[in-house]
Amino acid sequence: MNKGAIRLLYRKIIDADAKQLWEKYVFNDSYAEFLLQAQAYNQEKKYTSFADMLAQSPNAEKLHFLVSASIVGYLRQLNGVVPDIVSSTGKLFLPFKSYRFEIVSSDIRDKSKHQVAVNFMSEQLVWHDTIGDKLLVSVAGEKQAGAELLTETFAMQPFLGIYSLQKPV
Amino acid sequence: MERKFFLRNGLAALGVAAIVPLSNACKKSSGSDSSSTTSGGSSGSSSCTATSSETGGPYPTITPSSYVRSNIVDGQAGVALTIKITIKNLNNSCAALSGALVDIWHCTAVGYYSEYTDTPGGGYATIDYTASHFLRGRQVTDSNGLVTFTSIFPGWYSPRAPHIHAHIYNAAGTSLLITQIAFPTDICNTVYTTASDYKAHGTQDTANTADMVFSDSLANELSSVTGSVSAGYVLTHTINVSA
Repeated sequence: MNKGAIRLLYRKIIDADAKQLWEKYVFNDSYAEFLLQAQAYNQEKKYTSFADMLAQSPNAEKLHFLVSASIVGYLRQLNGVVPDIVSSTGKLFLPFKSYRFEIVSSDIRDKSKHQVAVNFMSEQLVWHDTIGDKLLVSVAGEKQAGAELLTETFAMQPFLGIYSLQKPV
Repeated sequence: MERKFFLRNGLAALGVAAIVPLSNACKKSSGSDSSSTTSGGSSGSSSCTATSSETGGPYPTITPSSYVRSNIVDGQAGVALTIKITIKNLNNSCAALSGALVDIWHCTAVGYYSEYTDTPGGGYATIDYTASHFLRGRQVTDSNGLVTFTSIFPGWYSPRAPHIHAHIYNAAGTSLLITQIAFPTDICNTVYTTASDYKAHGTQDTANTADMVFSDSLANELSSVTGSVSAGYVLTHTINVSA
């Protein structure tokens, strides 16, 4: 059975309440980079919040991308595996190569208002079936002719969505 | 980096711990330096201490911003270009400014920036995250005020003359100057008409003298470029800032 190929999107939000070391590093370094890069879009220092900078200078949208450079080193440390999302056996299993970083909110005077999101877009998974509340999938490329197909089962959960669906031909 | 800092402090604490009774030494690992300086025991007998066990890793380590790197090619095709930028301080008789952050960014051989590689509909970068910031980088100036990047000769896009963007910060991260670096026209003409990655796109449609950015400031924004298509080019340029 094959319902199609899907890509999952996990939106991981990181803010001042970050507990894990990895999240703290992303939080601290993205804020430091925000302080550096935001100066170009706030040259008269009129605004303190990212929202105000966006409202006054449409080019401030570039800050999402520019600040993301500070966290790519941490993405590498994940070795291509989406964090937090575990299979029903409790293992991380979701491969990714693409991502988008967002500044949700920030303020050059108040670090506690800094909040970012890392959107992990998974590689394609083959969605075979749904068992109860779990999806039965295999990572694309796992299949070998005549061989047993290794699969994963996982539950949909908050901040995890299906980004794309490619119907079987 | 933080881990090194921790280890260094840990060693300092051990140095003190060696002269206090073992029971206190055990508490020491979570104690602060200030409390350890008040202890004055002198057992001194244990000269070696068990090596601590650590998490089996992998676990995250502090990484410098991925902007901090000298090679910014990230797989982009083009004629090799070494970019040497010297930062000088107008407020200090044009002496070299050390410790300054220098960010540069420029377009590919055919005129694209890494910023604009997102998919048109979805907005998620389709290129591998490890290459998502190609042709962008940050270096810190040395004692001569110099930074060096390894890159490719930029292409051009309409309606601009070929250029490299640069943003200079002082060591504390305060923005000092956002500027651009222009290229000698004869070199551009050679690269854009003879080098394979550039030929199809042809020569720039905007001369330095007609460019919206450079036309009124070319004298201090024009770089010096030497080399050849086969051997690669070296760009040297000085940027003067008030720091």
